[in-house]
Amino acid sequence: MWHKISFRLLKQELKRGELTIMALAIILSVTAVLSLSLFSERLQSGLLERSSEFLAADRVLSSRRDIPQEWLEKAEQDGIQTAWRVIFNSMAFANDQLELVDIKAVSDGYPLRGELKVADKPFVEGEVSTTLPPEGEAWVASSLFQALSLEMGDSIEVGNSRFKVTKVVTYEPDVGFSVFTDSPNVIIRYSQLAETGLIQPGSRVRYNVLFAGNPTQLDNYESWLLPQLNDDTHSWRSIEDGDSPLARALNRAERFMMLASLLGVVLAATAVAVAAQRYCQRNYDVVAIFKTLGAGKQQIRKIFVLHLLLLTGISVGVGILLGWLIQSYVINWVAEQLGASLPSASWRPYALAIATGLISAVMFTLYPLFRLISIPPLRVLHRQMVGVQAIRWLQWILSGGTIYGLLVLYSQQWWLSTALFVGGAFAAGILLLIGRVLIGAGRKAGMQAGSAWRLAMAGLQRRASANSVQMLSFSTAIMLLLLVIVLRNDLLADWQRQLPEDAPNYFALNIAEEKVDDLRDMFARENIEATDQYPLIPGRVTHHNGTELIDEVTKEDREEVEEGDREEGFGRELSLTWRDTVPPNNEIVSGSWWGENAEPQVSVERQAAERLEIKVGDTLTFNIGGEVFTVPVTSLREADWGSLQPNFYMIFNTSTLADFPATYITSFHLDSDRKDELYQLFRPFPEASLIDLDAIIDQIREVISQVSIAILFVLVLVMIAGALVLIAQVQASMEERQKELVILRTLGASGKLLSRSISYEFLMLGAISGLIATIAMDLSLLILQTQVFNMEATWHWRLWLLGPISGAVVVALLGRLACARLIRRNTAQLIRKLI
Amino acid sequence: MLIQTQQLEKIVETSEGPLQILQPIDLAINAGETVAIVGASGSGKSTLLSLLAGLDIATHGDVLIENEKLSDLDEEQRAKLRADKVGFIFQSFLLVPSLSALENVMLPAELAGHKGAEKEARELLEKVGLSDRWHHYPNQLSGGEQQRVAIARAFVGQPKILFADEPTGNLDSKTGDKVEQLLFDLNKDYGTTLVMVTHDTTLAKRCQRILNMEAGQLAEASQDVA
Repeated sequence: MWHKISFRLLKQELKRGELTIMALAIILSVTAVLSLSLFSERLQSGLLERSSEFLAADRVLSSRRDIPQEWLEKAEQDGIQTAWRVIFNSMAFANDQLELVDIKAVSDGYPLRGELKVADKPFVEGEVSTTLPPEGEAWVASSLFQALSLEMGDSIEVGNSRFKVTKVVTYEPDVGFSVFTDSPNVIIRYSQLAETGLIQPGSRVRYNVLFAGNPTQLDNYESWLLPQLNDDTHSWRSIEDGDSPLARALNRAERFMMLASLLGVVLAATAVAVAAQRYCQRNYDVVAIFKTLGAGKQQIRKIFVLHLLLLTGISVGVGILLGWLIQSYVINWVAEQLGASLPSASWRPYALAIATGLISAVMFTLYPLFRLISIPPLRVLHRQMVGVQAIRWLQWILSGGTIYGLLVLYSQQWWLSTALFVGGAFAAGILLLIGRVLIGAGRKAGMQAGSAWRLAMAGLQRRASANSVQMLSFSTAIMLLLLVIVLRNDLLADWQRQLPEDAPNYFALNIAEEKVDDLRDMFARENIEATDQYPLIPGRVTHHNGTELIDEVTKEDREEVEEGDREEGFGRELSLTWRDTVPPNNEIVSGSWWGENAEPQVSVERQAAERLEIKVGDTLTFNIGGEVFTVPVTSLREADWGSLQPNFYMIFNTSTLADFPATYITSFHLDSDRKDELYQLFRPFPEASLIDLDAIIDQIREVISQVSIAILFVLVLVMIAGALVLIAQVQASMEERQKELVILRTLGASGKLLSRSISYEFLMLGAISGLIATIAMDLSLLILQTQVFNMEATWHWRLWLLGPISGAVVVALLGRLACARLIRRNTAQLIRKLI
Repeated sequence: MLIQTQQLEKIVETSEGPLQILQPIDLAINAGETVAIVGASGSGKSTLLSLLAGLDIATHGDVLIENEKLSDLDEEQRAKLRADKVGFIFQSFLLVPSLSALENVMLPAELAGHKGAEKEARELLEKVGLSDRWHHYPNQLSGGEQQRVAIARAFVGQPKILFADEPTGNLDSKTGDKVEQLLFDLNKDYGTTLVMVTHDTTLAKRCQRILNMEAGQLAEASQDVA
């Protein structure tokens, strides 16, 4: 019989809209989790696939020694595509000239991700090539045409082999950003590598094997391969590793999506918690009547547990359907916007969404349900009687445990979940305290105000305990919303700052000292925006505080390093420069810039200094073309490696280096429609090498715009979740206000006075919540920006006004809307509803 | 003897110390009797009713229903006893707002696991003159109609005892009279023992016995006194 009653209650209550908020909260939590995780999973893999172009593969295995052929065979057996890419420096001869080039010997299949573009003349947009140079031919970079005065069809000599130049390589997906160490590229066949005779024992060769496959294949292969790798010689990379602007953008986006989704989950769970509380409170009288009519505790438990499970089941079902619809429409739309297809998702998001719905509905209802079942039958005569209150801590433990569990389930990251949870719990405690104090202060201030204000203040004060809990959820919702909005804006602004529209898209290197003025004139004449011209002097750091640095670390070397006799160095020749002023986008973080001081000294980039443990006051010994000298380190600099301008590890004052012969480097922006002019513009500077960054910049922009759309979507979902929390909370408090409203109404209070007093009460609640939320948000941002996103921390003063005002307006509006319905009813109706 | 109390006392703890709501009460009600408990507000009438119905527990003394001591029963057993033997009518009707009139009437029979609850409920709704309103929800019914539904619900399952707490207290006099008539008619038909709390002396006079409650003390009153 009990199940019939349960079904009937559910059917009728659903029909009468009494379970809307609870159902909506569960539906939203399921929809949000499903669409967020489907979306982020699909977009993430889409993004990774797209960005993998920058590696020309999904994974790259690099080694200084040859890579065993069986590792490739194993990968191929697993269904993974492989290709060779061997890179080394060599001299290339042509037309009686010689130039240091990067030889890239590649095998069929290269590039596994992304496209190679080639052209028939230098410095033009290329066409996608699906083939590689045939044996005996080489495809070379535009700048080599300049350097070796090449014509199409000329031959170049590399080692023992001659290659006919048949194409200009205009774009290689994996060219990377390290413009200072790269020489022009020459692409030849991997099969012809041995004939060149350039690979000898001890030559500096980078062997790379490229891998492409689906994530499962790659993960399986990875777990097979990793134990066999040697940390000293091998490195295994994906696009997310490393410090390129793209890797950083992707990592940040991923963290943002994760964080925003987590906050969305917390918000949705909060909405479920608020709604669950109300769901049970609404049934207090029903349970008392049931008990009076002879229902036992067991029976009531069964009736309501089934009721809840049915409601949860239906809501989870609707949530899954909605989530699926949203993702199929939104993702298709996004895919259209991006002109890319997104890979389909796994079953995980579905499992996660169902689990979230069930867990939050059941766990958050457990304590209110316990109280509901313990409602005494005597409540039919004494309406104020409620159930057991003794184990309130159980509710905190259950709710807290559930939120923490959901965080871990969703993020699968213990540290992030724990940090968020502990921080959140701490903040919640403080919010609760501040809320009470502020409400108390409000009462005193409100005593003198007009009638509606007085009513509002009295209401606030009377419900201080309920209100401070309510304020906690208002504040949490507002805070999380502000947090996500601000973080999104900061993140986008940060990317925008790194890649402004007029970001330099070319580097010009090897400019002779006597041509620098001509170059500067040319830029001015042609209206080309360029960065400063920096002298470039190759040199090595040989000693740090008198201790020898070693470049190539062998096993014996490592022992010496460990014994402290020698230290690990940069491993290569550095590009040194000198300047009078701190370069733009650089910031002194320790020590001071030399200004007019002519004493020999050097400024070191912070990251390099950290790696080599260099501090201000240390000495470094340099060797430039055989000339050895020692200078003190007088400052450490933070350089912005994301900016497309020349950056240097070591900058000297002018007097130290000015006498050394130098070539110059600069970067400049040339609109893409002026690309054709480039060859002409640089004719007077035949020795200069040009590096074209346009294609890379475009690709980064594209990735960032994909990420921005994703972030916008997450933001919208989080906003819906936040709104639902607010609505659920206002609805819940309406119930409490009903009785009071009836009394005031019966005593003749006008509808205007009542709606004003309620509006004021919510206005105050909203304003205080908004203020608290803003403070909490700015503090959390400070931590998030510096600790999670590695961004500069900024205060958001404008929000200090916006937070309270928007909080007040939104909460007051919701409150007014919710009470308008009550006030419109006539008193008799209200009384009937209450008694 | 259907209902019996032995030195029944109720004391509650307040911030100003213990408060004696009921002085020791000895009372016996026979099957089929109609009894009115009258008295001023706060005299303890409703408390007595809640103890007799097993909704509340006495501080001292006992309530016996068909010689079964309520103090020997746990909450579950008391609920079972109510399901089997007791019907209720309240001043504020106490219908389940989300259930229709018919479903409200069926509720006690269903909770007690009776078969044919719907048939019985329909018959009772017909008896109270609401056969055309059975699918209406409480908030779609007038006060008088709601109380008639409550009366129908009270008689479903044919309880031996009917407890009524100010059954006409929320109704205007005309509606009140009709509801009153209905209650006594059904009570007669079903031969139920009626224990009614009221401060309406006219209503009280329709009962066979009137008990007067004053400051927690119960005394038998003659029809004239009441």
